[in-house]
Amino acid sequence: MKGLPEDYLQYPARRRGMDHAIYPFRALPNARPVTWPNGAHVALCIAVHMGHFPMDMPLKPFIAPGGMERPYPSYWDYTLRDYGNRIGVYRLMQSLAARKLPATALLSAVLAQRYPALMDDLAAAQWEIACAGLDMGRLHHSGVPRDEERATIQEAAGLLRARFGTAVRGWHSPAHSESSHTLRLVAESGFSFTTGWANDDMPYVMTTEAGRLVCMPLSQDLSDQRMLHQQHLATEDFTNAILTAHETLDREAQETDSGRILVVPITPWLMGVPHRIRAFNAMLDGIMARGNIWPATMGQIADHWVAQNT
Amino acid sequence: MLSEPGHYDYMPWRRRPKITWPNGARIAFWVAPNIEHYELDPPPNARRMPWTRPQPDVLGYSWRDYGNRVGFWRMADVMARHGVRGSVSLNVAVCDHYPEIIERCCTLDWELFSHGTYNTRYFYGMTEDQQRAVIRENRETIKRASGQALDGWLTPAISNDETTQHLLAEEGIKYTLDMLHDDQPTPIKVRSGHLISIPYSLEINDVPLLAMRNTPPERFAAICKAQFDQLYEEGTESGTVMCMPLHPFLIGQPHRISALDDVLRHVVAHDKVWLATGREIAAWYTKDHLAEAQNWIAAGTP
Repeated sequence: MKGLPEDYLQYPARRRGMDHAIYPFRALPNARPVTWPNGAHVALCIAVHMGHFPMDMPLKPFIAPGGMERPYPSYWDYTLRDYGNRIGVYRLMQSLAARKLPATALLSAVLAQRYPALMDDLAAAQWEIACAGLDMGRLHHSGVPRDEERATIQEAAGLLRARFGTAVRGWHSPAHSESSHTLRLVAESGFSFTTGWANDDMPYVMTTEAGRLVCMPLSQDLSDQRMLHQQHLATEDFTNAILTAHETLDREAQETDSGRILVVPITPWLMGVPHRIRAFNAMLDGIMARGNIWPATMGQIADHWVAQNT
Repeated sequence: MLSEPGHYDYMPWRRRPKITWPNGARIAFWVAPNIEHYELDPPPNARRMPWTRPQPDVLGYSWRDYGNRVGFWRMADVMARHGVRGSVSLNVAVCDHYPEIIERCCTLDWELFSHGTYNTRYFYGMTEDQQRAVIRENRETIKRASGQALDGWLTPAISNDETTQHLLAEEGIKYTLDMLHDDQPTPIKVRSGHLISIPYSLEINDVPLLAMRNTPPERFAAICKAQFDQLYEEGTESGTVMCMPLHPFLIGQPHRISALDDVLRHVVAHDKVWLATGREIAAWYTKDHLAEAQNWIAAGTP
């Protein structure tokens, strides 16, 4: 038997720290302490995944969570996702406005063209707009030629900046998927922060050939997409998990004398349905009852972190 | 391939023209039992195999068959006890196989609408003529078995193809359930004729909840009640619709039937509920609210 090639047992990136040059290793206890406005323990960021799922979206190299899982033409999948952008997001807007909580929308840029009335309502609600690519059918992965990926990012940024201007400075790659060029192309397109790497509770800096990006925390482990859509857990399993995370982060903030960040990743077609919105409201009330929070957009949290880390 | 169905316009969930239901009801509540027959030895379809195991899939087949032998009768009794009529999403071959079931539905004054001929005969890949033939035959069979007109449609397993909705309108179907984009009826755009959508549900449907999402019966009831409570509250602003789709092979099991009893008891205890059928909702909306919705869309949903 021939066995594996010689280089299979060679480890060129084996060294102290990361096996790449995008960012250095940083253990959480060694992160520089940060303070939030009014001495808040926890910055609260509601991150809303507002995706558009084309009915003819490619199913390879993988189907984004919420993508067309049934045979074409899947009215089932398409219309349930679209429900989120017609109805669910309005319930979320109402819940957050009633509690004076800001939000950051991770938005498929094609929605700016498709649903201008929704864009007006997001602007009126003062939600931060971050760009989540063109749509959920245009995933970023290593099979996409670099020039094509650059054009996709520029088109998406252009669509949202045409409507919301320079306030669009955050990026999220759809379905947390990237190629090895994505970060550089995102920096090149004028974004100052990105979110989607699931490796930290606190921001850190990524270095690309086109400049720096602040990487903001965004969990997939603790998200309604994973817990409710993929794992089929009960609504309360998700909302209780958020409350438990908040309790832990609040305690750590007190023990370490450093602010923490609670990102709540939610999805209109999941959390905005009638049978879940009351549990969502109760969860928000539970977070607010604990107190010592700083409700902020992802961009505001990034700014405060950068000001204390440069 | 189409990137979207293209059958409805964007209607944001705010400042819509107000929908009013009969007698000042806030919510139209309707129950849609899917009374189905899955064939023991169906032909294959290129886009979907009818059964997951090699045929005969004895477990899959007999589980569904339980619905017609046992589950339906138990479910119908609970609904009748609460005065809740069903709007049956009917595989119309049931009229031939089990006339006892159709007779019971008619005695209870339930609506029959079409869910295709068999749940194992998908619309994927049919020509327009083949689809038309099924729709026409389904209309005739329902008329013959019950005397009822065919007003509503849900394609078997939501296996509609690109042009199905156009054909439904052209064949005189009044409401479709193939789209799940809203909590109110909406206009549907078709190449000729008229069609509206009224809300069905895959959120509080017993198949996704009980069979796909592993929901225990008590939580199933809690989810249904939460759905009702929210839409009942929102109905103070504009009338909403809640559909409760059922499948007797699931909800009619002895360990689950009390969950249905629990939900219906909760619903009928509210006074601003219109216990409607699909046909009644569609007729009311078409008569009183359709034109207003179309005008609002034309004005840019101000």
